Amino acid sequence: MQHKEEFIKIIKENAGLIYKVTKVYTNSMEDEQDLYQEIVYQLWKSFSSFRNESKISTWMYRIALNTAIAHLNKEKKKGSHLPIDEWLMNKPDLNDTLKEEQVEILYSQIKKLDTIEKGIILLYLDGRSYDEIAGITGFSNTNIGTRLGRIKQKLITQIN
Amino acid sequence: MELEEMKTIWGEMSAAIEKQKMLTDALIIRMTQADYRNKINKILIPEAVGSAVCFAAFLFILINLQKLDPWYLMVCGIMSSLIIILLPVLSVKAIYKMHSINIGGNNYKQSLLEYSKGKLQFVFVQKLTFYLGSLLILTLVPVMGKLIANADMFKVTRLWYCYVIMFPFFYWFATWVFKQYRKIIQGAENILKELEI
Repeated sequence: MQHKEEFIKIIKENAGLIYKVTKVYTNSMEDEQDLYQEIVYQLWKSFSSFRNESKISTWMYRIALNTAIAHLNKEKKKGSHLPIDEWLMNKPDLNDTLKEEQVEILYSQIKKLDTIEKGIILLYLDGRSYDEIAGITGFSNTNIGTRLGRIKQKLITQIN
Repeated sequence: MELEEMKTIWGEMSAAIEKQKMLTDALIIRMTQADYRNKINKILIPEAVGSAVCFAAFLFILINLQKLDPWYLMVCGIMSSLIIILLPVLSVKAIYKMHSINIGGNNYKQSLLEYSKGKLQFVFVQKLTFYLGSLLILTLVPVMGKLIANADMFKVTRLWYCYVIMFPFFYWFATWVFKQYRKIIQGAENILKELEI
């Protein structure tokens, strides 16, 4: 029971992380819900093997990104979600239409990147260090630097 | 929009998400339970039904194999039974392979590698299944004609003519189907190429 309480606390504290991953890797509300639930389920499945050797966010990113990739294989099927009215995902309420628009533009441009790039830019924008990004993705620090340079350029060209 | 601006917007959005905290304990608990996860069953039920039908047909042909006379019907029977048993094995294996990413143990790069390789293998198996399925139609018709109606369809009908007419159609259809897979193959190959950099 304590195990479950601890898990719930971690999910609540890091719900934004899951939200951002689902938003970047999906193209519809239905798919977003499906992936969100799948990530929580996969986190719960691996929770017992998490041994505090890495930061909790590092572990969560790793599982969430792997689940997102595995989700790319799934056929889009209806009827496996929680009811929509119960769906209270942590959607950002920025109280500013312009900001919300900018966030939407940013998401839409990130979605245009390829699968490898999406994961790297997500971690970068979330303020993760090169070491942490390397740890989560399995690429070397130098490789991350090179890739980030390319992604930044791509994003700026796309947006402007 | 410059990169620093992107980072600022992203940060503000992240802060706004953190403030909301709308996930309830009950909702999280429900997400950890397997009851909503009927997706796997949706894939496996048709596969299981298909496999059972194939196995029944395999047994039917095998039990009645000695009735397939002359030799060309026997050849058709053997080919049909081999294909019938091979098809579900290939299909189930490809589906499992595609869904076998080690979510708990992999890093992002490893998952992308497994995903891309699984995808390529899946398309290969789909193509193979398509060819085998088409061949099965050709071999199964005379076999069932003999076993069910005791008729040698090569003699009592103009089955050969049907095959000749069907071939161009089959060729056109195969070209069309495989064109649909080209994009998937290209996508998977691009990821593999990118990972090598």
